[in-house]
Amino acid sequence: MSINHPLAAYLTGDGVVMKKLQYLFMSLAAMLLATPAFAQSAGNYSPASQWVPLAAGLGMALAAGLCGLGQGKATASATEALARNPGARPGIFIFLILGLAFIESLALFTFVIIFLKVQA
Amino acid sequence: MPTQLLLTRFLNAHLAAPVTALLEAFHVHPKYPQAPITDAFAMELLVFAVLVAYFLLVRVTLSVEKPAAAQHLAEMTHEFVSEQGESVIGHGSERFVSYLTALLLFILLSNLLGLIPGLASPTANPVVPLGFALVTFLYYHYHGVRANGGAYIKQFLGPVWWLYPLLFPIEIISHFARVLSLTVRLYANMLAGDLVTLAFFSLVPVGIPLIFLGLHLGVAVVQAYVFFLLAAVYLSLAVAHDH
Repeated sequence: MSINHPLAAYLTGDGVVMKKLQYLFMSLAAMLLATPAFAQSAGNYSPASQWVPLAAGLGMALAAGLCGLGQGKATASATEALARNPGARPGIFIFLILGLAFIESLALFTFVIIFLKVQA
Repeated sequence: MPTQLLLTRFLNAHLAAPVTALLEAFHVHPKYPQAPITDAFAMELLVFAVLVAYFLLVRVTLSVEKPAAAQHLAEMTHEFVSEQGESVIGHGSERFVSYLTALLLFILLSNLLGLIPGLASPTANPVVPLGFALVTFLYYHYHGVRANGGAYIKQFLGPVWWLYPLLFPIEIISHFARVLSLTVRLYANMLAGDLVTLAFFSLVPVGIPLIFLGLHLGVAVVQAYVFFLLAAVYLSLAVAHDH
């Protein structure tokens, strides 16, 4: 490849671009190498059960973390509103509890799906 | 034979034959004909018996001059439910206080039973919350039709006529999703509370699980309140009039 080739600017260029390309190729290589590994494990025992704990943990962690974020936002707004207007306590309380229940139920749906799928 | 609680074993020892015969008459074949009564059903019977005894006690000891402890408790419950009902449903909420009180007390007692050693929460079994949710579903639709008559169908349709075919199926699905979400919320909370306590009990058998039992106590009360509040909200939406 000649030095005038468009790719040459990346390949001989300074660190940042080079590093990005390196990461890209490394991840591509990892994915390409990993595919035969998946195929091999399929022959010996079911690959589904192998990934169930990982998927369950990741799914529950995502659900719990995002649920915490949502509930934190709701609680923060409710306390702020209560500090501004303590007289509005009953109304705010009902909406806070309702909102928390609805946000929490999303995480619980994940939990139930995991519970059903891991049991089966 | 499944492992059973003491009360379930007692009930099965005495009532297994007639209950199995009754179920067979409805073409239901229990998994264990020797033990057709499940733990959840036995616990529900216990809650039912306790509540009926409590209400009977309140009724018998009712007095204007010297109110007993049970009467104070009943008045507090009634005041709480009426106040919440008034703030959520608004005018005309007195009609629903009896149902909402029964729902709240039954779920609260069912949730709290799991904290007593030797007993279990019936609500940690998905069938029991499904029953509560279905009864609530039928109840608020009945009152929606009663309050609005044929105009109740308008709640399922959109504001303009060309949105009707789009919104009607969505509304139907969302009403059934309410049953699902009520069921799963109560069931999953109770199950998760039990599981967390169990998991920490297997890690550290002394002391630490108590913290999670305390947490479970709070969750049990809040979930009973949430179920009651959502039932009130659905009722208020169903009986609301369009102006």
